[in-house]
Amino acid sequence: MDTVSVLLLAAFVIGYLVLAGADVGLGLLMPRVARTPDQRRGALAAIAPYFLASEVWLVAALGVLAGLFPSLEHHVVAHLWPALAALALALLVRDAGLWMWRRVPSARWRALWEGAVIAGSWGSAVCWGLVVAGLLTGSLWSGVFTPLCAAAVVVLFALRGASFGADRLVAEDGGRAADACGELTRTLSRWALAAVGLAAVAALLPGGPRTEGSVAAGAALLLLLGSLAVTAGVHGPMLSRVTSALAIAVPGVLVALVADLPVAPVPATTGILVWANLAPFVPVMFLGQVWLYRMTRRSAGAETFFA
Amino acid sequence: MLEDPLLLARLQFALTAATHYTFVALTLGLAPYILVTQLVATLRGDRDRMRSVRFWGGLYLVNYGMGVLSGLVMELQLALNWSGLHEMFGYTFAAPLALETMTAFFVESTFLGLWIFGWDRMGRWAHLFCFFVVTATAYSSAWWVLVSNGFLRRPVGFEMVGGEAHLTDPGALLANPASVLAFGHVVTGAMLLGALVIGAVSAYHLCRGHDPYGTFRRGIRFCAVLMCVMPMVVVGFGGAQFSYFDTPPPTSGLTYGTEEAEAMTEAAVGGLAGAMSRTGHVTMVLMWTLMFFMGPVMALVWPFGGLDRWRWFLAPMVVTPVMPYVASVSGWVFRETDRQPWVVTHHLTTADAVTPMPAGAAAVSFSLFTAAFFALGAVTVWLLVRFARMGPDRGPLAERRPEQDEPARPRFTY
Ligand code: HDD
Ligand code: HEM
Ligand code: HEM
Repeated sequence: MDTVSVLLLAAFVIGYLVLAGADVGLGLLMPRVARTPDQRRGALAAIAPYFLASEVWLVAALGVLAGLFPSLEHHVVAHLWPALAALALALLVRDAGLWMWRRVPSARWRALWEGAVIAGSWGSAVCWGLVVAGLLTGSLWSGVFTPLCAAAVVVLFALRGASFGADRLVAEDGGRAADACGELTRTLSRWALAAVGLAAVAALLPGGPRTEGSVAAGAALLLLLGSLAVTAGVHGPMLSRVTSALAIAVPGVLVALVADLPVAPVPATTGILVWANLAPFVPVMFLGQVWLYRMTRRSAGAETFFA
Repeated sequence: MLEDPLLLARLQFALTAATHYTFVALTLGLAPYILVTQLVATLRGDRDRMRSVRFWGGLYLVNYGMGVLSGLVMELQLALNWSGLHEMFGYTFAAPLALETMTAFFVESTFLGLWIFGWDRMGRWAHLFCFFVVTATAYSSAWWVLVSNGFLRRPVGFEMVGGEAHLTDPGALLANPASVLAFGHVVTGAMLLGALVIGAVSAYHLCRGHDPYGTFRRGIRFCAVLMCVMPMVVVGFGGAQFSYFDTPPPTSGLTYGTEEAEAMTEAAVGGLAGAMSRTGHVTMVLMWTLMFFMGPVMALVWPFGGLDRWRWFLAPMVVTPVMPYVASVSGWVFRETDRQPWVVTHHLTTADAVTPMPAGAAAVSFSLFTAAFFALGAVTVWLLVRFARMGPDRGPLAERRPEQDEPARPRFTY
């Protein structure tokens, strides 16, 4: 039961990075790729159905952390309190932007909440970068590694967002925003290569993450660099759908492999209570997710509740 | 005051939770009404009823947005500010919350997305099914939260292993009267609140003689029926909760000795928390008494057409939702402050549960979250009132007709 519980936690965290990476990432790129009001509406229309289904992965991860791994939670909170509090605030601002944007048809109102979405997306990406760095090193700040690692994570978010935008923004403005995103996948892949490379070098400096026994971590890092290299040369977004997903998943995998996390065995009775109640819901959770992502694959032409 | 992290953390929890609950209660109150309306509309192929679904559904979504925002913050704040609680009671208190996040929130948010984006993309029964899932998970979410909250009030079914509480009896956890009775009370209180909101919005429009699709005629009748029945159920569950008030929890003695714990409770009685608790109690009961008379009065004017036409009767109806809102928040203040000095009765004090944090950090986080919350809550309330007044032809989910396109978007005519 311990193994499945650990896998469950890992699945929620990595699932969050891969899925929410797309909509948070597009939020990062909005100032660049969504310049006209129509393009901004298009971007928000692409983000909205996605964030409803992706954010819950984070909430679920937090739940599992608190209920099945309280000592791990205690460890994480004790070390990363400020970054996590800032993350909470960024999420609040971002979500507020998404829920509020469409409510009042006035240019100023919309500009305000577009700003909230953009600021909140940047805040979340940066805070995730800090959290990943903090988990890898065991402290909130450890020399140059921290900013470099955080920067790498932010670029990976942006890359994921660019590939998502290239896929989803096609209908809105004859494809100009989508093309801009397509272009960006190549540029961002290069940036990401550079940032990840630098962070990997900085990791060897004192204060960086523990490196012993990390063959698997090395392999994960190679996978990351490889998947970035593929799209760094190719013009356009074709493969980036897969490679950007792989790339953003790797920081999660690295944390699982490298970080020195206190994972205590789950007491049997709690494990049984949780799994007995959870098991029947797994198919429903799965069905809902697949259904929603498939249904909204093409963004609605007409206005919906969100955009 | 800003120097005391414990006080700030408590105050922050109280403010966030009260905000969260005011929106959640309306979610719980509206969902079943929307579900049944959509069921009837689907069965009969009734377009007018479907317009009502879109109208109430629009309010539901605006309100839900704030529920999610505040819920997220609740979740994170519980983890961030109350780490002592998780350290000792993670396996008992937080396990139900974990189940809530996975089996309730996860499913709820996804299916709500399907419902929002599925209006024109799926069959009507599939669409109805999505809202059924949304309603069911909203209630199961309330259930799991109250299992965990009931555990704080009356901890059961665990043993202490090396400073951690390990669950021994999941049955006792799920059958805890402090959870089961609270669930009954909270759910019926929320129905009362939903009914009065529906009644008030309906009264507003009926006063103006504006009811194109019968939305408000049906709304106010529903309100009248519920107001006749529901207060009795609310008081039933509420009164039953007193049954576990004066006995120590069954697990008392596992950490502090029972005498010692009683003495600590005695020492904390009085003070501000005690006064708040008493005020909360009295206010809740007072509000209930006022509401109790509404049902019979509505039933009395119904046969004379008063529910549709008597302005002097309908106009005051518009402000009545204040009562269940005040009652709900007071009820929670009563319950939560009554627990002082304990987070987990007889086992863990608030002082030991709070995360040790620098006073400055606590003050910054408190001010930022409180300010953001106040602003967002106020905007949401403003939007809710705005959309309620607009009526079924406009609003966030209303079917779009060409001539009502939004003025801000330029349109070309050839
Ligand atoms: C519409 C809202 C509403 C109304 C009219 C009432 N209550 Fe209530 N009450 C709540 C809404 C509520 C609540 C917000 O839902 C609480 C907070 C926690 C809980 O379990 O329910 C609550 C708590 C609560 C508790 C606290 C239990 C505890 O501390 O563990 C008791 C004993 C009662 N209620 C009793 C009553 C009585 C005797 C009422 C009528 C005379 C009454 N309530 C009306
Ligand atoms: C949603 C409605 C709720 C409201 C309005 C509410 C209100 C409050 C208030 C007023 C306090 C401060 C008490 C004091 O310091 O004297 C408090 C504290 C607290 N509440 Fe609640 N509460 C709610 C729900 C919950 C739930 C569902 C849980 C747990 C699942 C919970 C857990 C706590 C904890 C851990 C504290 C801090 C410790 C304490 O002061 O006792 N609350 N809440
Ligand atoms: C410690 C207390 C609480 C925590 C940690 C908490 C947490 C949350 C979270 C994270 C969400 C957002 C879920 C999403 O993203 O969809 C949420 C929403 C919700 N919560 Fe809570 N909550 C608490 C108290 C309560 C209480 C007391 C109730 C009801 C009795 C409740 C019922 C709900 C419901 C029905 C929703 C769905 C959204 C909505 O109704 O607007 N919660 N809560």
